[in-house]
Amino acid sequence: MSTLIVIDQPPYGTWAGREALDMAFSLAAFDQSVSLLFTGAGVNWLRKSQKTDGIEQKSIEKNLSAAPIFGVKAMFAEASACARYGLTIENMLAGVAIAENSSNLLHQYSHTAFSG
Amino acid sequence: MAAIQLQNYTLVITGAPYSSQAPQTALAFARATLAKGHRVDRIFLYGDGVHLASALSSPPSDETHWPGEWAGFLKESGIPGVVCIASALRRGLVDDAEQKRHELVASNLLEPFIIAGLGEWVESTMTSSRIIYFHAGG
Repeated sequence: MSTLIVIDQPPYGTWAGREALDMAFSLAAFDQSVSLLFTGAGVNWLRKSQKTDGIEQKSIEKNLSAAPIFGVKAMFAEASACARYGLTIENMLAGVAIAENSSNLLHQYSHTAFSG
Repeated sequence: MAAIQLQNYTLVITGAPYSSQAPQTALAFARATLAKGHRVDRIFLYGDGVHLASALSSPPSDETHWPGEWAGFLKESGIPGVVCIASALRRGLVDDAEQKRHELVASNLLEPFIIAGLGEWVESTMTSSRIIYFHAGG
């Protein structure tokens, strides 16, 4: 049993992504295999040095960097979405694998959940 | 006709009533599922879906009362309706225990829904043969 949590919502402007991350951390807390795929506007989660003072929200960067510590197996970013939103290795958080073909990736998991 | 392999489902609802069709679609799915002899292990309300468990929803009388419809279905079928505590507290959905803990002026959780953690959903991922998500879409 392995789960892929797909985050396709931007980090701010909606709580859906944060609640999807909670799902991933919860699975990991119960020793279940879980990985994250960022796609569409969701790849903006992976941007380095997010400054959120202006919107009075906590940056999600700290939450996300805790993912490996909590036991999340892997983090993937869809290549075409990264290109669309201008994310490169230089401005992306460390430890993220680029997925050229997310449909292949989806087939490797027995359960997938979207952030709504 | 080939025999259908019976499944046991968990339904996760993340879309709120009256801003999305998610609770309505999920209820139709749940009824159809039981009618075909499958089992529903659990309903899990997450994110905006927790609004379905509000005892204070008062839609106009010519509109379907979705929290009431769902509560009736859960009572009849005996299926547990679980509301994620973190999603619920953020959105002002509390039972008596949470009202006391957070010193709030009222509680508003509709029976027979119960408040519990994401661990219930995790258990579903381990025990249900299918998990179906009902999102707001759009």
